Amino acid sequence: MHPETSIVKLDSISFDKLMAQQDPFQGEECRIDLSGVRMITPAALVQLAVVCYALEEKARQPIIILDDSSVSTYLARAGFLAAVRPVAHIEPPLFAGFDYERLRGSNPMLIEVSKIETGSDLPPLLDHIVSVLRKRLKYPKYDAFDVATAISEVCQNTFDHNHETCGFIAMQGYGKGSKRFLEIGVGDYGNGLAETLRRNPKNPEIASDIEAIGVATKLGTSEHDDPTRGTGLYHLLEITYKHEGAVQIRSGAGKVRYRMDKRQGWTFSVPYVPGVQIALDLGTKSGRNRKKILDSAK
Amino acid sequence: MERRLLLVNHGKQLWTRERAREIRTELIKIFEGLQPGEAGVIDCKGVEVFDYSFANELFGKTLLSLSREYPERFLLVENLTDYTRENLSKALESLGLIMIERKANKLALLGRVHPADLETFNVIAASREPLTAVALKGKLGINLTAVNERLSKLTGLALIRRQMGVSGAGRQHYTYLAPA
Repeated sequence: MHPETSIVKLDSISFDKLMAQQDPFQGEECRIDLSGVRMITPAALVQLAVVCYALEEKARQPIIILDDSSVSTYLARAGFLAAVRPVAHIEPPLFAGFDYERLRGSNPMLIEVSKIETGSDLPPLLDHIVSVLRKRLKYPKYDAFDVATAISEVCQNTFDHNHETCGFIAMQGYGKGSKRFLEIGVGDYGNGLAETLRRNPKNPEIASDIEAIGVATKLGTSEHDDPTRGTGLYHLLEITYKHEGAVQIRSGAGKVRYRMDKRQGWTFSVPYVPGVQIALDLGTKSGRNRKKILDSAK
Repeated sequence: MERRLLLVNHGKQLWTRERAREIRTELIKIFEGLQPGEAGVIDCKGVEVFDYSFANELFGKTLLSLSREYPERFLLVENLTDYTRENLSKALESLGLIMIERKANKLALLGRVHPADLETFNVIAASREPLTAVALKGKLGINLTAVNERLSKLTGLALIRRQMGVSGAGRQHYTYLAPA
């Protein structure tokens, strides 16, 4: 068994530390030990769901180990356990006396981990996001549309470029008023950006996952030889820039974190995870106390 | 004559390329019934938002094929909000396309428009009569080669229409006009 992870907050950054410590794609045991973890962000939930489904594709059943009942309850409430139930085993099993799925959609600050399989899954989800942002979180109308547009573009990539896999989305709002911010996670366990972009011979040669991320965010770069394609990740960065947010794009063994107040990306080599996963933080312009808000949410 | 596509019939918030593809089928049917010089109008009244994929598929794909598949027909957009106009403009800019917006019975261009093209379009749109290249040369104060280059570009983008006319002296010549 793995020792405690020493990770208390599992987010899109510490997720890579978890993978480096426990890499479930290597070795015989497929254990993801979340002992010690006390808070998990939506982006990390999506990444974990992606790992579970990617392992299932390799005919392996991951075992997720939890040591805190409140974390177990949160994972159930956040829709994670329902999403991974077909492919993963949870230890210890959650008491089956309450059906948390009945609460799905009832908390305006939360979009539970949801599967995205086709384009028809998206419009109701995006309409709901706009409604929550406008009515409950008091976002100005156009800001809410921007957020939904960014999410739409990213979500469409999960099924547009992959076959026989699916995508996941989760979102949580934190803070209030001018201190609010949103974290949104979207991911898939498909082929990843490098392989996808290599299908179009008009694209430049791509030597690494990090390079693929850089190429994919350029306007007009796509798997498809179609001038109306290849704008999704470009517009994601533009919207994030407009709202001075932050976005992380992870594909295969590379990731780039863009901090848009400086319009700069930092590259990292990370343990391999199939597909593309995106973590988007918006509202940081007015939510500079993000760390404080997150800490108080633990 | 013109035929309209009421976009709001498909929703106030329009997401995804897939959705746009369904609506584009309806738009194509409209274009199949148009004669040269007529316009298909996408009426956005009541539409609050569409994402870039939607705009690329509905507006971008249609504009890219317009002059080839439906020559001499126009595509216009009307009743955009500030937000939908901004998103559509960005989508068109990223595709290198330009389209006509009709606002309060005046025509304007959306997308990344070169000032010279805009100037030429505005002169043609403001004219009640079709204009020849020679007439435009006089109005724009540039040489005939430059006029013809601009006209060729605007015609290729389906922003103006070229038609055969007859001069007062009985000679055949091309005239150019924008949608009504």
